[in-house]
Amino acid sequence: MPIDPMIEIANLSVTLGGRSRVKDFSLTVPRGRFHGLLGPNGAGKTTVLRTLYRARGFDAGTIAIGGRSLQDWRRADWTRTVGALVQEGGNLQGLSIRDVVEIGLMDLPLSPAQKAARIDAALGLAGLTDLADSEVALVSGGERQKTHIAQILARDPELYILDEPANHLDLCYQIMLLDEIKRRGKTVIATFHDLTLAARYCETVTLMREGEAVASGPPAQVLSRDNMRDVFRIHGALRDGVMRIEGAIP
Amino acid sequence: MTRAVALTNVAALALILALLAGVFFGTADVSWGARWAALTGAEDAPRSLTLILWDWRLPRVLAVATVGASLALAGVMMQTVLHNPLADPYLMGLSSGASAAAVGAILWLPSWVASTLGVPLIAFAGAVCAFVMTLGLSFRRGTMMSPLVVILAGVAVSLMFQSLTAFFLYVGDPRATRSALGWLMGTAAGIGWADLWLPLIALGLVTAYALARAQSLDAVLLGDERAMALGLPIRRLRLFVFAAVALLAGLSVATVGIVGFIGLIVPHMARLLVGGRHRALIPLSLVLGALVLVIVDLLCRVILAPEELPLGVLLAIFAAPPFILILRRVRHAY
Repeated sequence: MPIDPMIEIANLSVTLGGRSRVKDFSLTVPRGRFHGLLGPNGAGKTTVLRTLYRARGFDAGTIAIGGRSLQDWRRADWTRTVGALVQEGGNLQGLSIRDVVEIGLMDLPLSPAQKAARIDAALGLAGLTDLADSEVALVSGGERQKTHIAQILARDPELYILDEPANHLDLCYQIMLLDEIKRRGKTVIATFHDLTLAARYCETVTLMREGEAVASGPPAQVLSRDNMRDVFRIHGALRDGVMRIEGAIP
Repeated sequence: MTRAVALTNVAALALILALLAGVFFGTADVSWGARWAALTGAEDAPRSLTLILWDWRLPRVLAVATVGASLALAGVMMQTVLHNPLADPYLMGLSSGASAAAVGAILWLPSWVASTLGVPLIAFAGAVCAFVMTLGLSFRRGTMMSPLVVILAGVAVSLMFQSLTAFFLYVGDPRATRSALGWLMGTAAGIGWADLWLPLIALGLVTAYALARAQSLDAVLLGDERAMALGLPIRRLRLFVFAAVALLAGLSVATVGIVGFIGLIVPHMARLLVGGRHRALIPLSLVLGALVLVIVDLLCRVILAPEELPLGVLLAIFAAPPFILILRRVRHAY
């Protein structure tokens, strides 16, 4: 058992629309670790993250963050501790990029000057300073993703829950923004489809298939030829931190 | 924010002028001096004019302003919590429920029922009934009341009550039908001081609630999941907002009948002017909602004087062009 776990998931099961999405899933992530959830579509990665940031309930199992059960968290502590990058969008009409970043800071005990400094710094990191007053509903998908990442960077929580952080981002910003998150040394749990990117940032990963954990450990060990074949139906393996793909298995 | 404050102040000034116009202009042909004297309660003012201004026009324009502000605020909140730019206060079947109840009572119940309880109370009960039905249909344990389910349930309940209203009108006595139709299209005629307090108190309470929750409503704009990730109890907030909207829209319908468009368009007008943050959006929407309805009510009174047009007729004529413009702009954002 690792010392000081940030995330403790035990025997989690989630059923959605009569279909079992997550089955008897357990995971422990120590504080300060960058952990990846990997797997093909429908493996249950996003469902695990959604239960973690309390967007959906679960049928069985327990989840604790920072040693506290999910339902024991009070709102003010939760906002300080947990931040999530979510895939779905709302009705952003009438909001500027700066508004979206600022809304993320609403419950933090910061002075207006501190908030403004954090927002400016996050917008700068995401390359959005010049677009700060643009309406977020009218910018590109990549710029919107950067806006939401800027929000979480401005909040700088203890636990970053990132669902597909690299989505829509160009290569430069994938590296710059994930480098920045990694540099902060907080606990991160993230899903990735780009396995090379996952290997670059994650100290440990969990490979999922049909709601179950197939393997867990360092990327070089988990992304083996056998696992790639059985889980992703791909001939290939991670070598020297790079995913070498030979072909798909029809 | 300074821009928002300035715009709200300008709109508030325009509202004060519109309220004064609403009190001063009407069918009675009298001098300006007499009108002013009557409003200020001077001793030499004509008694009949004092009566018209104080007991007839003043409560009427204030009630119309209250209803306009209520519907605009309800529209803002509905569009926010349902993530839908086309949501309006009547989306949960409130107007259809109120219509069916009112028309049923006017046409079918013994006249003593409507005269004892009053059509407004019956309409309010109909609105509440439709609201409870929509809520019941949308409610599923363990979910956060999905906006789509609420909208679909509201459409189903609305259609049901609309057919009921159509049935009542179709088989009803033609003379009574005219009175029911007049009520359906909205009118502020005959409103007295006693009708004003309840809508005004409800508006005050809901405004205080909405402003206190402005930041939470901002977070809801980001989407349910993002709001929940920020620690927001989205389901509870949504339930409170629905109840507040039912109160505002139900009382509005009971006061002046069905007034469409305000709850749909005014929030968009305000959003175009000051953006989507609720601390700025709510005050401007309140003032603009009141302003638009006070002006439309005044026009309803003077255009075909001494006849009065129903509010709904003029509102639809004036509101359709800006609505189409807003739709074009909204389309770009999706």
